Amino acid sequence: MTFRLLQNFKGSRALVISRLSGRESTLETTLAKLGVACEFPEIADGRAQIDIAPLSPDRDILFVDGDLDEAIAIDVDPASKLPPVPVIGIVGVEAPGRLKALLNLGATAFLRKPVHGGAVYTALFMGINQFLLRADAHARLLDLEERRRGRRAVLRATILMMREQGLDEDAAYSQLRRESMRRRQSLERFCEELLSRWAKPPDTSDRTTSITLQGGNKQAM
Amino acid sequence: MFSTTGPYSVVARSMLNGALLAFREINQSQHVVALEPVVVNPSGDLTQYRELSLDLLKAGIRQVVGCYTSSSRKEVIPCFEKHDGLLWYPSHYEGFESSDNVIYTGAAPNQHVLPLVDYLVSGVGKRAFCVGSNYIWAWENNRIFREALIARGGAVVAERYLPVGDTEFDQVIASILDQRPDFVFNNLIGTSAYAFFRNFRAACRSAGIEQANEIPVASCTLSEPELGEIGSDAVDGHLSSSVYFSSLRTPENLQFMQAYLESFPDGPVASADAEASYIAVKLLAATLAQVGNDEARAVRGAVANRRLAAPQGEVRIDPQTFHAWLTPRIGRSLANGQFELLLEARQPIAPDPYLVQSSPRFATAMHPPLLRMVKS
Repeated sequence: MTFRLLQNFKGSRALVISRLSGRESTLETTLAKLGVACEFPEIADGRAQIDIAPLSPDRDILFVDGDLDEAIAIDVDPASKLPPVPVIGIVGVEAPGRLKALLNLGATAFLRKPVHGGAVYTALFMGINQFLLRADAHARLLDLEERRRGRRAVLRATILMMREQGLDEDAAYSQLRRESMRRRQSLERFCEELLSRWAKPPDTSDRTTSITLQGGNKQAM
Repeated sequence: MFSTTGPYSVVARSMLNGALLAFREINQSQHVVALEPVVVNPSGDLTQYRELSLDLLKAGIRQVVGCYTSSSRKEVIPCFEKHDGLLWYPSHYEGFESSDNVIYTGAAPNQHVLPLVDYLVSGVGKRAFCVGSNYIWAWENNRIFREALIARGGAVVAERYLPVGDTEFDQVIASILDQRPDFVFNNLIGTSAYAFFRNFRAACRSAGIEQANEIPVASCTLSEPELGEIGSDAVDGHLSSSVYFSSLRTPENLQFMQAYLESFPDGPVASADAEASYIAVKLLAATLAQVGNDEARAVRGAVANRRLAAPQGEVRIDPQTFHAWLTPRIGRSLANGQFELLLEARQPIAPDPYLVQSSPRFATAMHPPLLRMVKS
C-alpha cells in the first residue's frame, strides 16, 4: 500500500451522526460544493440507525457528533486503531471525556459546532488523508513485523548455505538474496520455504528434489 | 475598494473604472434604485484592507465591490463574515474557497488555468518554467497548472517566486535561458510582471532568441492596461487565458468599450477584471432592486441564478458556489496593445472552484478540450 493524497472528494458520501437541529445546513451545503452527498441516519433510543459493515472507506465518511452519548459503535481495529471508514468528530462541548470518545472512534479530524463553512474543506481533507496515511503506516508496520519474524530464517539459511556449500557469510547471503529476487519473493519468505523443504524427512518425495540455486549451479542441500 | 495606488494599481484602477461605469449607467437609466458608490483605496496594504473593510461595514455599508489579490480577499473575508456584509470579488483567482459572504464574478481555475494547459500542450510544448509573485495566487495556480501539465505528459523544469513588486530578474532569466523550456508560465503580478516581460524579451534578443516564438510567456493575469505598462518593445506575442478581452466583437462589448472610453479617456483601458467589476455592480444593482434592501443574506439568495448579458457574453451566478458561469478564451497580445483571439469556449462554462468536476480523485487525467479553434 502506498499513500496517495486524495484531493477531490467527488462521489463521496458523508453520514452525519447528529441530532437534527436545523444547523446542519452549513455542513450539507458546503459538502455539496465539494461533491459530497450528505445523509443523516435516524437516531432512535440514542443509537444511530446505521449498519457500519457495508460502508466503504473509498466512498464513505462518518461525521460523529461528540455530544451524543455512544450513538454509534464502531469496531476500531485493535492494532491500527483505525475505524473501517474515516471519522470526523463534530465537537460541541470540549470536555476531555467527549474528545476521548471521538479519539477512540478513530476520528482523524474535527469540526467545531456551529459548523463554519470555511472549516469543512480542511476537516474533510485532513480527516480522509490522515486516515489514508495511518492505514499506509499500519500496512508498512505489518510488513516490517512480518520481515522481523522472518530474520531468524534468513540467519539459519545463511548458516546452512555456508555449511553445505562452503561459502563465506557474504557469499551465502548474496546467493540467497539473488535467488529470492529471481523468484520475486521476500528474502525472509524464500529462506523460510528453503528451510521447510530441507527440514522434511528423507523418505518424502520433496526431500529428493532439492533446490538448485542459479549462478552457483550447485545443490543447496 | 480598489488599490488605485501601489504595485498592482494599474489593474485596480481599470477595475474601479469598470465599477464606476456600471454605477453611472445604473443611475442614468432611472433604475429603481439609485446607488452612491463610496470609493476607498487600501494602497495594496493588507492592514489597510482590513481596517477599511471594518470602517465601511461599521458605517452601515454592507455591499462592497473590491479586492484584486487573493491575499487581500482572504484578509478581509473574516470582517465580512463577522459583520454579515457581502464582498463582490471581481477578479480571476486560484479557487478552493466559497465563503457565504462573497460573490465571485471573476474566473475560477477551471475557467482560466485548465484551458490554458490544454492550449499549451496541444500547440506550444510540454516543458514549462514557472515564475510567480510570492503569495497564494502563484503558489496555488502553479500547483493546479503543474498537476494538469504532468497528467498530460508535460513537465515543470523549475518554479521561481519573487516578492510582490520585486523587479530583479537577472538570475531567473539566466536560469530560463539555461533550461530552455518550451514556454514560461507567468504568475507574476503588477510591476514585477511588467519588468519581467521587458527584461526577458531584452535578454532573449541579446541571446539571439526570438522570445515570442521560441519561449513564449503564458499568463492567466495579463490584461490590456498591463500591455501598455510593459512598453512597446516587449508588448506583443504573449499568451493570456481570460474570460474577457476588450477586442471581443459582441454588441454588448462594443457598447461597453465605447462607454468606457468616453468615461475614462485617460485610462487605464478596460481589462477582464474591469469587466468583472462592471458585472458585479450590475448584478448588485439588479438584485438590490428586486430585494428592496441590502441585507447580505437576502441579496445573496436573490443573486443565485441571476443572468446578465455581459460584454463577454451571458454570465450567470451559480446557486451552489456563488461563482459565475463565464466563457474561457485564449488570446495573444499584439503590438497595438490589444489581444487577438485564438480560442474560445462555445458557451459559458460552469464555475468549479474546488475542481470537483475538473480533476480526478488522486491525480489529474485527460479530459476533452473545452475550447474550439477560432484562429490557427
